Parts: sequence; structure tokens; C-alpha cells
Amino acid sequence: MRRALPAVCLVLALALSSCAPQKRTASFFAMDTFMELTVYGEESVLDDTRALIERLEGELSVTDPDSEIRALNQNGTAELGEDARSLLERALEICALTGGALDITVYPVVRAWGFTVGEYRVPEPEEIAALLEKVDYTRISDLTLPEGFMVDLGAVAKGRASDEAVRIWGEAGVKSGLMSLGGSVYAMGTKPDGSRWRVGIRDPFSDGLLAAVEVEDRAVVTSGGYERYFEENGERYHHIIDPKTGYPARSGLASVTVIGGEGTLCDGLSTAFYVMGLERALELWRSARLEVEAVFVTEDGEITVTEGLEGSFEPLGDYKNAEIKVVGRG
Amino acid sequence: MVKTKIWVFLILAILVIAAAASALVLTRPAAGRVARIYVDGELVREVDLDRVAAQERYTVRTDRGENVILLEPGRIRVESADCPDQICVKAGWLADSAAPIVCLPHRLVIELGGETELDAEAG
Amino acid sequence: MDLKRLARDGVFTAVAVVIFVIELQIPELLPIPGVKLGLANTVTLAALFLLGPADAGAILACRILLGGVLGGNLMAVVYSAAGGAAAYLTALFLRGHVTERQIWVVSVFSALAHSLGQMAAAVAVTATPSLVLYLPAMLAASVVTGLLTGFAAQFAVARLGKIRRR
Repeated sequence: MRRALPAVCLVLALALSSCAPQKRTASFFAMDTFMELTVYGEESVLDDTRALIERLEGELSVTDPDSEIRALNQNGTAELGEDARSLLERALEICALTGGALDITVYPVVRAWGFTVGEYRVPEPEEIAALLEKVDYTRISDLTLPEGFMVDLGAVAKGRASDEAVRIWGEAGVKSGLMSLGGSVYAMGTKPDGSRWRVGIRDPFSDGLLAAVEVEDRAVVTSGGYERYFEENGERYHHIIDPKTGYPARSGLASVTVIGGEGTLCDGLSTAFYVMGLERALELWRSARLEVEAVFVTEDGEITVTEGLEGSFEPLGDYKNAEIKVVGRG
Repeated sequence: MVKTKIWVFLILAILVIAAAASALVLTRPAAGRVARIYVDGELVREVDLDRVAAQERYTVRTDRGENVILLEPGRIRVESADCPDQICVKAGWLADSAAPIVCLPHRLVIELGGETELDAEAG
Repeated sequence: MDLKRLARDGVFTAVAVVIFVIELQIPELLPIPGVKLGLANTVTLAALFLLGPADAGAILACRILLGGVLGGNLMAVVYSAAGGAAAYLTALFLRGHVTERQIWVVSVFSALAHSLGQMAAAVAVTATPSLVLYLPAMLAASVVTGLLTGFAAQFAVARLGKIRRR
């Protein structure tokens, strides 16, 4: 009997693996970041997903000379394909929803700070003031930009990539999959055993983790000044520029995580909430009845979560005993 | 009184068995490649060593002291520490062994195991 | 209080602490937590055979506390106390079963017990059961270190035997 045991295990393993879809993973660089995909399904799904992301990158990039967005920025108008056009429209809706806390036309200012290419500098106040003249998403009409205006869909591109990826996964019959597009996570379905995906949220103050959330069919997107920044004369300048001031947002928040069904919306809202600060973000969340949940971490290390996360939000490490404030829509 | 000969035999037997067992046990492969860092038995961080893309330093600071942990693709070690015995530093790289790196004075343990507890990290 | 006894135990404790502190300066031989020579056990063993259980216990307790304070590592007190207590009890039990020429046997078994006690404390404190993977290596090392300290104790007892008779 003892000798038969390995054989039995092998047969069982083979039997199980033939009916359950196999776990397949891929990782690669795209959209200036590291991407990781896990699906329970066919290998071809991963190839298709990668091709999709690379296609979106080629169309949406602000630096790629052949991209549609680059053409739009140079000429004020361009032949936009379906991907770019629908994302531009959705992005403008999110800009309007957030009252301009997210503004895709802030790109000229971001470029002046050097965040697009990594050659950081602090622009003169006059330069920023002049560039702010070219920042106002409401002046885009019929997908045409006024003179000197430029758009950057970077704040929503990874979110849109995740939504599109989930769509083709669904078409391919995938029931279970997970992707991390440079820290923008989308968890599709549940794990094959039926349990929810556990997604960690980075601690904005260290390399560790703040908390884990358990999700199903949800995007989990975090924005924070800690992700990319430079220091000059002892001052720290991060990459999330407030479209109203032209300077890195100082709203008292260290990071915001938005969790919801639409990656594009979560991506855009995480940036907008970070710019708005805790009070204004919660106000918008309540008044617009946004169908997302959020985790706010202030500069003082205080954690606020929206009520829909109760039961699925679990603080980790140093935060195990931290006081978590739960806010409702009331 | 027991004869000295018997004591010698008994002690030799213990020595041989313990040495053989330690050779077996210390070379035992880990169940997986996920490094977990514990302080006081509490998980402070877990890293899938196969997903470490570039060298990274991670400092664990407690009121007992400090351990600087170095992560490289596929392996992990304590690079430096202010503990009195330095055993955690001398233990060197942990890449595929089930035997953990331990800093008893700081109550820090680095251990390899399977499957991450978290499926992804946002941020 | 018997002044002579107090002075005598004080000398034993002082010697134990000095040996302990000197040993702290010796780099670890193996990168395995908890493995060291344990030379200070020589004093505990000698005290047990020369002065009896009560004095040996007191000397051991003082040495562990003072050693922890001097070594600047209070965590070590927990580990040594667990190991020391196990070693002491084992030695106490075996004392009646050996001759004075077999003190090294007692030493080996109390070194083994020391490792077990220390390991139990370490597993409890760090809540890491996988630490026991180091136990066989610790036990093997204990046999060797136990022999060394055991013979040292045996010679010490032979030479110091007159203290007891006087």
C-alpha cells in the first residue's frame, strides 16, 4: 500500500490538472512599468493580453512619436481609433465628475517638472503660471484641443488596460485571473478554489504593507506621492500635480486606494482623491454616490476606509493595532 | 553506578544520530520560494523571491534593534544588524533551504515557504 | 547567614560571570543560533558537586542575570534561563547516578538539556516552529561542548576537593 501511494497521488494530480484550467503567468515591461499577469486558462490568453497592452501603449503614449495621442497633442486634432477615442471620452467624464481634480490637460505642467522623462527640475512660478493657462479640460470639444493644449491619458491608461484585458479574458472563457499593471491591480472572478483574491496595499511610509483587502471582480488602484518623487534643496516634490496650482498636490494624504468594478474609474479617482484630500474626496464619494470603496492614509498615518470594505479590509504589520476609521455614506 | 563504557557508547550514539539528522534537516529544501520576514512571530513582509526584479534593501527596525535585509533575485540575506551575536548576518544567503535565518536577540526570523498569502500588491 | 558560605558562593559567581563575559568575546564557531561553548557551565557543575544543589542554583541564577546585564542583551536572559534551568535539573537528577570520575557525563547531558530548553524558549518567543530544524545541529554541538566543559569541571572538582573537606 505504501508503495502505491505515490502512484495514486500522481494519478490524482493528473486527473485534477486535466479538468481544472492551468495557472499561467507572464511578466513584462510596458507603459513604463512592470506588469504581471496570472490567468487560469490557455497560454494564448496571456499572449493576447500582452499584445493588447502593447497596442494600447502604442496608441495612448505621450512620448511615442507614432501614437495617436502624440498626434493629437501636436496638431490639436487627429484621427483617433476606437481605443483612444473612447478612453478620451471616459477620461473627460471623470475629469468632470471630480470637478477638475483629475485634469488630463495638466500634461504641459507635468512635463515642465520633468516627470515624463525623469529629468526633474523645479520650474519658476512664472513658468507654471503661464503653463496653467493651457490647463482646462472643459475647453476640449469634439475631441479637438485648443492651441497649445496637450492631454495625457496616463492617469487612466493602466486602468483602461485592465478593463480591456478583463474583457478579452471573459471572451476567452477565463473565470479566474489577476493582473498587476505596475501596482494597478485587477482581480477577476475568484481564485479557482472559490475564495476571494487577497490584494495587499503598500504602506506609503515604508517598503512594507499597510493592509490586505479581499476582493472579487474588482480593480484595486493606489495613488501616492511616495511612488515617484525627487528632492531639491531639502524639499520633496512628488509626481501628482494639482491641476489648480501646478505644484505637487499637498492635501494631507499620503496615499489613496480606490476599489471598484471599473479599472479606468478607479485609476482616475485614485489620482483625483489624492489631489482633493480626505474631506473633499469623501464629500464627492457621498454626493455623487460613487460605486467604489476607498482607503485613505493621511500624512499623520491615520487610516480611513469606506464602509463597504468592512469585513474585507485587514490591516497588516505595524498597522495591526492601528485605529481604523470607517465612514459611511450617511 | 553505570559503567563508563556504557556512557561513552550512549553519548557517541547521540552524537552520531544528531549529526546525521542535522545534515538531513539543514539541507532539506524549502516548500517554496516565498520569503517571509517575522518579528515576534508576526509577519511583517513577504516577498516572492522569484519576483524580485532588482536588488533591494529592507530595514526592519524595532525597539530591540535593526536588521538590514538584502533582497536579490532568488535569494535573501541579512546584510547587517546591530545585534550582539551577528549570527543572522553570518548565516548568509537563504535561497532554497527550509532552515530559517534567525536573529534571536531581535526576535527576527526569515523563512522560506510556499504560496504568497497575498495575491498581488497595489501601490 | 553563614558569611563563609556567602563569600565562597560570591567567588564562584564572580568566576562564572568572568568566564561568561570572556566567552562573549569569542566569535561564534557556527552560524547556528544558540550554539556556543558554554564554558560558564563548568562553574555550575563544579558548584553542584562541591557545594550542593542550593548553592549551585543560586550561583547559576546570579550568573545568568549578571551576564545578561553585562552582555547588554536582556533577550539572552530568557534563552539562557530556560536552557540553564533545564541543564541544572538534568545535572541534579544525574548527580546521584555517577561517580566523581564521570562528571563529564553529567555535563554532556546537561548541555543537551540546555539546548532543548533554549530551543523551547526560542520557539515560544519567536513563535517559529521551524527553528527546531536547528535542534539536531545544536544537540550534536552540545555533545562536543558538553565534553569540553565536563572535563574542565571534573578537573576543577578534583583540585578543589579540599574546599569541601575543610
